[in-house]
Amino acid sequence: MTVTTDPVALNEWVPCAWHGQIAIGAALDTMIFGQDIRVERTGDQDYRVTTFGGDSPRELPVQTRYTCVFTTLGDDPRALPEIPEFDEADRRITGCGRVGVNTSPYRIVENFLDMAHFSFIHTDILGAADQTEVLSYRTEHRKDVDEIWAIDCTFYQPAASKAAAGGQLTKYLYRVMSPFSVMLYKNVATDPSRNDAICVFIQPRRETECLAYMPMAIVDEQSTIADIIDFQQSIFLQDRVILENQRPALLPLDPTYELPTRADASSIAYRRWLKAMNIRFGILEKQAA
Amino acid sequence: MSVAQGRWTGVALDHQIQPASSNPVVLNGQALAVWRGEDGPVRVWEDRCPHRGMRLSFGFVRGNTLRCIYHGWAYGADGQCAEIPAHPALAPPKTICANSYPAETRYGIVWTTLGDGASGPPDLGPDEGWEGVRSLFVAASAEAALTALARFDFGAGATTRMLAGDIVEVSFGPELRMLVVVQAMDDERAALHAAAKGARATEERAALAKRLERLRADIEQA
Ligand code: FES
Ligand SMILES: [Fe+2]
Repeated sequence: MTVTTDPVALNEWVPCAWHGQIAIGAALDTMIFGQDIRVERTGDQDYRVTTFGGDSPRELPVQTRYTCVFTTLGDDPRALPEIPEFDEADRRITGCGRVGVNTSPYRIVENFLDMAHFSFIHTDILGAADQTEVLSYRTEHRKDVDEIWAIDCTFYQPAASKAAAGGQLTKYLYRVMSPFSVMLYKNVATDPSRNDAICVFIQPRRETECLAYMPMAIVDEQSTIADIIDFQQSIFLQDRVILENQRPALLPLDPTYELPTRADASSIAYRRWLKAMNIRFGILEKQAA
Repeated sequence: MSVAQGRWTGVALDHQIQPASSNPVVLNGQALAVWRGEDGPVRVWEDRCPHRGMRLSFGFVRGNTLRCIYHGWAYGADGQCAEIPAHPALAPPKTICANSYPAETRYGIVWTTLGDGASGPPDLGPDEGWEGVRSLFVAASAEAALTALARFDFGAGATTRMLAGDIVEVSFGPELRMLVVVQAMDDERAALHAAAKGARATEERAALAKRLERLRADIEQA
């Protein structure tokens, strides 16, 4: 495809590498929204991102946060979200690398928001085969930050995290920060007053070709970083099989094309929000005929 | 597309669709799930769960219901959603229904159509005595496969006859007949499904399958 002309998609910050992926002095060629870009690491914390191919090259804005290098093609982008947990001193911060997924970015966000699949796709880990019920929860559009939240979510989990010693009723809080980023807070096995924060930031290479980054700020004194990454990646690989076999890969926004139930309240709110912002990139109904 | 939308086409051999299985098939670019309950006939559905689009050919069969692998929604033989595990107490609304196509087994072959199915699969005589030989998947258009099939030398005494646009009959004398149906998957891929009938059908099955394997080379070289 050519570079998208969708102003809504263009005005988002998206990740283009994880910090540490590129050696100092080296560069990585990649793509966002159909645009070829080069990410050069010019110093320990310094990156330079430029477009190449097509029109005359231009330099893009860069920021490094949440273990990722972010850039944008837009002139007036939505700000990156504030996630204060990443600044708490005793948290284990890790990036988990990145995973390629051939589908639209929205399918990845919806899968992350979805509790109803735990018992089927993450059986005996995030869900039990005989406890499939999704209790009702609330969703809200927080207009001050323009984010979608799902609150009061609970689900029975046999092995909720690397640190979990047994089954628990896990409390979840979900937060969609942009069309291409989502995170959750889930209560920690060892300390009920705190939450693990797990994010997914998506780099859309093309409409149905993405790279997913999973920065986490975890409360876990025992597990090694390698164990935490391993756990998260094995979960994500189970999801990838599903994600790459949904049809169509593009997201339909017509509410009669795919039929939700109450458990999909967060997906319903997300789709409404996408529709209201009139985003076209990766949306089924917005394809040129 | 080579095959008119309304026409019935063979899409699998009956014996290949095992009890309690769901299988992917592509017909004219349309992805289908061809499945069978623990007993009973073959069903042909759109390969897309009405909930969130997961392919139903990845689903699993319990009794005579097909369950989607993603959230476990169960669909009865009529396509109606019968159970939503996220809400065990909820009776699923009637509007949640898998999109199904007409399906019929005849001459050892599973037939379907993307049209309304009014005409039924082709009538090539009585249904008794046919057994599936093999299916062949080729990297060629259905037209190219048909042309090579019509010209193929099946051996001494064999005569080849076009029965319909995409069906060929090969006769090896009074004791052995073979049907070969060509299914267009998309512009570059086709499948051939062969079934045989006659006193020598069972003993010749392996030999026929081998000849079809040579036919593949012919088709893909054309
Ligand atoms: S996509 Fe099939 S049950 Fe959800
Ligand atoms: Fe998942």
